[in-house]
Amino acid sequence: MSTIDYLLNGLSTAMQWQNLVFVFLGVLIGTVVGVLPGIGPMSGVALLIPITASLTSGLSAEEAATSSIILLAGVYYGAMYGGSTTSILLNTPGESSSVVTTLDGYQMAKQGRAGAALAIAAIGSFSAGLISLIGLIFLARPLSAVAIKFGPAEYFSLMVLGLLAISGLAGKSMVKSLMMTAFGLLLATIGIDSVSGVERFTFGLPELYQGLEFLTIAVGLFAVGEVFKTILERDNNDGEIAKINRILPTKQDLKDSAAPIARGSVLGFFIGLLPGAGAILASFFAYVMEKKLSRDPSKFGKGAIEGVAAPESANNAASGGAMIPLLSLGIPSSGTTAILMGAFIMYNVQPGPLLFQDHPQIAWGVIASMFVGNLMLLLLNMPLVKIFAKVIETPAKYLIPLIVVFSVFGVYAVQYSVFDLMLIMACGVIGYVLQKNDFPLAPLVLGLILGPMMENNMRRALTISNGDFMIFLQKPVSLAFLIIGLLWVTIPLVLKLRGKKVLVNEEG
Amino acid sequence: MNHSFDRYAGIVFCAIGIAFIIGSRGITASSYGSNVGANVFPMFLGGFLSLMSARLIYETFRRQKQERRKTNLDYKRFGIIFVSAVLYALLLEPVGFVITTFAFLMIGFQTMERGKLWKSAVIAGLFSYGVYYLYVNVLEGSLPGFPAWLGLS
Repeated sequence: MSTIDYLLNGLSTAMQWQNLVFVFLGVLIGTVVGVLPGIGPMSGVALLIPITASLTSGLSAEEAATSSIILLAGVYYGAMYGGSTTSILLNTPGESSSVVTTLDGYQMAKQGRAGAALAIAAIGSFSAGLISLIGLIFLARPLSAVAIKFGPAEYFSLMVLGLLAISGLAGKSMVKSLMMTAFGLLLATIGIDSVSGVERFTFGLPELYQGLEFLTIAVGLFAVGEVFKTILERDNNDGEIAKINRILPTKQDLKDSAAPIARGSVLGFFIGLLPGAGAILASFFAYVMEKKLSRDPSKFGKGAIEGVAAPESANNAASGGAMIPLLSLGIPSSGTTAILMGAFIMYNVQPGPLLFQDHPQIAWGVIASMFVGNLMLLLLNMPLVKIFAKVIETPAKYLIPLIVVFSVFGVYAVQYSVFDLMLIMACGVIGYVLQKNDFPLAPLVLGLILGPMMENNMRRALTISNGDFMIFLQKPVSLAFLIIGLLWVTIPLVLKLRGKKVLVNEEG
Repeated sequence: MNHSFDRYAGIVFCAIGIAFIIGSRGITASSYGSNVGANVFPMFLGGFLSLMSARLIYETFRRQKQERRKTNLDYKRFGIIFVSAVLYALLLEPVGFVITTFAFLMIGFQTMERGKLWKSAVIAGLFSYGVYYLYVNVLEGSLPGFPAWLGLS
């Protein structure tokens, strides 16, 4: 079958009524998650995993996986869009990738052009979604065809590259992010070893035999941790919410933003492909590029529509681009895709080169649903933008305790264990303390998810080579991955030593 | 950046790394047909973690002390909500989902902001029973119901 046939099949999967409902719910919840301060895409997706698991419990295994992933992916790119709403109306980004949007978006809102800014953000997000989707269709299968030839040594080195890349860009201090990565990988070794069956680091506790559940850790670190932060720091934003007068942008607005949207989308897509880069860097680079290309750079920061169009397109395109390494290589390139990957694994679906062969329905269903979802986002957001603006006013008083209840309910509904509930509380405190002191959490979760795969591949490779570690250097592809990984970590260090400022990607 | 925290965190993570190295020495080294056992991966990573932590500790000594910005943290509010969240988790099974959720939400709402008791009670009640009803009766999931001594079910 050709790619087009697969895509049409995927489209028919995506158009099944229950999947349409799931896409709709996903983008709706995602937008709300993006708009609400305090929950970002990572905690939103983590919190929804158990809920989708129970929603889909009546379906067959494959259908359940398809529908859940469709919903969760919807939350992911919905949140990317929703984040822009608060940036524009309130000057506070709902999630970190729309920080750049505040620069010009809020200025536009002050000038009474909030509606136009929001509409351009929606249109930009939509066309970025389309462009990254086209990229996904054309790149995912060839990439997985290459990846399928990888042996365990190549795979191990590829994962090392992915982890190094994320650590290199994840926070203010590379030492700290490498520590978090190693800690995550170590946590993943707790439990019964899947190769030899021996128990490791369980201290005889029966709860630890199956290992630490990734969902528990993710909900604890991100959702509960964020709640504790809000409670402790009282960061209530009492800013004025800008009024929305006219929603449709003028012809001049559309004309001014067409080229920035196209450029931002393409740039964002390619940045999204890179492990460790991601939506924040994408939006930042897109903004800088527009400013450089503009005939009148002085208007940026004073309400230039290009300054909204380019970064908003770029961060959405990046979230689409980030799906490619996830689906075709099985390597997540950001915190949120790591959590999505955890969801795949919960449904016993292994993302990676075999995904397109073994589960074409899931792979193409999700890809096609991203198109449907982007269309829905556009249709949903243009008329409903005023309602979403109201969501911002949800008082923290009610929101904070409810997030705790959702975390407890979600984890209990999947794990049925009080031990896991205690674990989310502990992770909440640890997550807050670590985050506050610039220890990034995304590498920890990534290590936790990639740990078992990485260890298995390492041991398989070493079994082939009779315990000789040189196998990772003798295979050319594996060696290349390791060298790239090393460069990824050392180049920023060298630049820092030379006194250059290095941009980092802070997510979560 | 808080240097004393970094130093302590470095010591803690270094200890964790060393603990993993020691722990992995107790794991059977080899399984049949392979000379790479379950101990290699954690031992290597434990070493890496303690090395990185040592580097962090070294950095905290080398850098100049920077002024610390003090933020006023609301420990009282956090304490109440944290303790009640832990109690909520512990009592979930013996007392049931609806009652514990209602109680936790009431405490949470009132701790965040005093007043409007009725509004809080209505939201907490609707939410706790609503989620229970939706999950157990509509989605046919399983949650701890009402305690037996209430004689409701």
